Amino acid sequence: MRTIILLVSTLLTMPVLAEPPQGYPFQQFDKALQQAQTENKPLFVYFGRYGCGYCEKTNKEAFSNKQIREAYTRHYVLAYVDAESGKRIRLPSGERITEREVGTRYDAFVTPVFTFLTPDGKPLLRLVGVQRVEDLRDADNKMQRLIAKSGKP
Amino acid sequence: MRFQTAWLGFLLTAMSLSVQAQPWEFGEAVAVTKTGGKGIFHHLESAGRHNIAVSAETVAVAWEDNRDGTPRIYLARKDRKAPNFSAEVKISGSGEAYEPSLVALSNNRFALAWEEDARIHARLVSPAGPGPIVILGETDAAQPSLASQGEHLLLVYSRRDGRYGRIVIERLKIDGLTLHPDQGCAVDAEPAQDEQLYPSIVSLADRTIVAWEDRRPGHTIIMAAQNKNEKFCSFSSPQRISEGRQGRRSQSVTYGKGNGVSRVALAGYGKGQVLAVWADKRNFREGYDIYSARYEPGNTQLFGLNTPVQDSFGSVAQQWHATLAGNPSGRLVVGWDDDRDGDANIMLSWLEGDGWSDDIAVPGAAGTGEQNHPTICLDREGNLYLAWIERTTVDGPTRLRYLFGRAIKD
Repeated sequence: MRTIILLVSTLLTMPVLAEPPQGYPFQQFDKALQQAQTENKPLFVYFGRYGCGYCEKTNKEAFSNKQIREAYTRHYVLAYVDAESGKRIRLPSGERITEREVGTRYDAFVTPVFTFLTPDGKPLLRLVGVQRVEDLRDADNKMQRLIAKSGKP
Repeated sequence: MRFQTAWLGFLLTAMSLSVQAQPWEFGEAVAVTKTGGKGIFHHLESAGRHNIAVSAETVAVAWEDNRDGTPRIYLARKDRKAPNFSAEVKISGSGEAYEPSLVALSNNRFALAWEEDARIHARLVSPAGPGPIVILGETDAAQPSLASQGEHLLLVYSRRDGRYGRIVIERLKIDGLTLHPDQGCAVDAEPAQDEQLYPSIVSLADRTIVAWEDRRPGHTIIMAAQNKNEKFCSFSSPQRISEGRQGRRSQSVTYGKGNGVSRVALAGYGKGQVLAVWADKRNFREGYDIYSARYEPGNTQLFGLNTPVQDSFGSVAQQWHATLAGNPSGRLVVGWDDDRDGDANIMLSWLEGDGWSDDIAVPGAAGTGEQNHPTICLDREGNLYLAWIERTTVDGPTRLRYLFGRAIKD
């Protein structure tokens, strides 16, 4: 019993290593892109990597904010890309690509990088490095103004 | 104006001298395959980036593409002196196939290993045609990389062992065009503590060296181990060869485990010398740089201090897809792609004395559009063989290109 409690507590206290923040419906990039096209909704892509300190900091100190969670979940289709992973995905164009190459294509030269994309994958706005609650709020406001002005996501 | 003219003259002279100092005279780029067009994507991917090889008079390139709707492995060959490649041969079977590794054997023969339906497959190819396919193991496995050792083929790959991938080595006996599995084992005798991925291998006269990505410290590092031929399955304890961010303040005291590295490649050169290269984000503001470490068999540490390969102009750009090649005369060259000039171009740097040359963009593999995913090899004379992926637009169809660099005699 003690062993089980120890094991469970160890698992619960393990650091989050380059994973998307909890409580957000982050998806694989190809599935998110498909959904964004179907729903004609912009994407918010989180480029992280295993062991990324600034990703963990942003997860715990910014994405934990309730208003940020509500705004980002409502306004965007969310995608997470491990910029060092060889995991294969297939884009709507039919191209097979690894998550690492998606990172290369969208210039995720550091982690984290957060990129807002049109439903067809064109970059609109990029945030590089660790983000605070106000940074994510400002970026969301900017994106919403951009969408309202252009009349399309 | 006079100063500007003088400065321009100086620059042109410097560029001219730089071009003259190159050890290769590059020919025209040619297509490796005629198959291409909308919806077709070629991939030059393999652990260790060994997708081109030269045996006797034959150059061979191995890749994956989806021409029939399914990813499959193909091999194209040409006589070294012929202008163009012959029609390619399909190498893989009926499944989804990825990441072929290619190695040259004697007498215009080659060996290939690839992942197909989550199993490692291998086969030999001679001028007469391919031999039978051998399938290794019944567990999920990926990322094969090959080396040859006399009448044996050495194969490393990442095999799923419980939660994690674990690096495994297999020795296969070459019998005509047939491969017979001989001996195999995990490189690290201890159970994997986290993922072990993307191995690369070099075979020396009396030993084998394996390097791979390892996530045991909570971030990705490069590790290596070696064996002696007479004790094939007795590897040294793995050692970390990628250094941390020395002399810099930690990016975060509370969060994270360390900087990222990815995709190590090994090559032998000279008399028993070995170099490892990989993409390294220790200077994280500029993205990945290419770092190297030399094998130092006399020391306690298997590999020595890490040194950046790209020059100071490259250090402000991002480098991807490191590949390297050496030959017995001691020539050693590293290739990669970077976007310092705005477009992704194929770059080279070679060992000059104890240091690295200035970087050059390869004529014919640089300019507008994208040129990336290089793979290179050298022959005994120091001639350079290069293949890469080219595309006009970022998400457009790909072309598979080849270029020969004739060694310039000193």
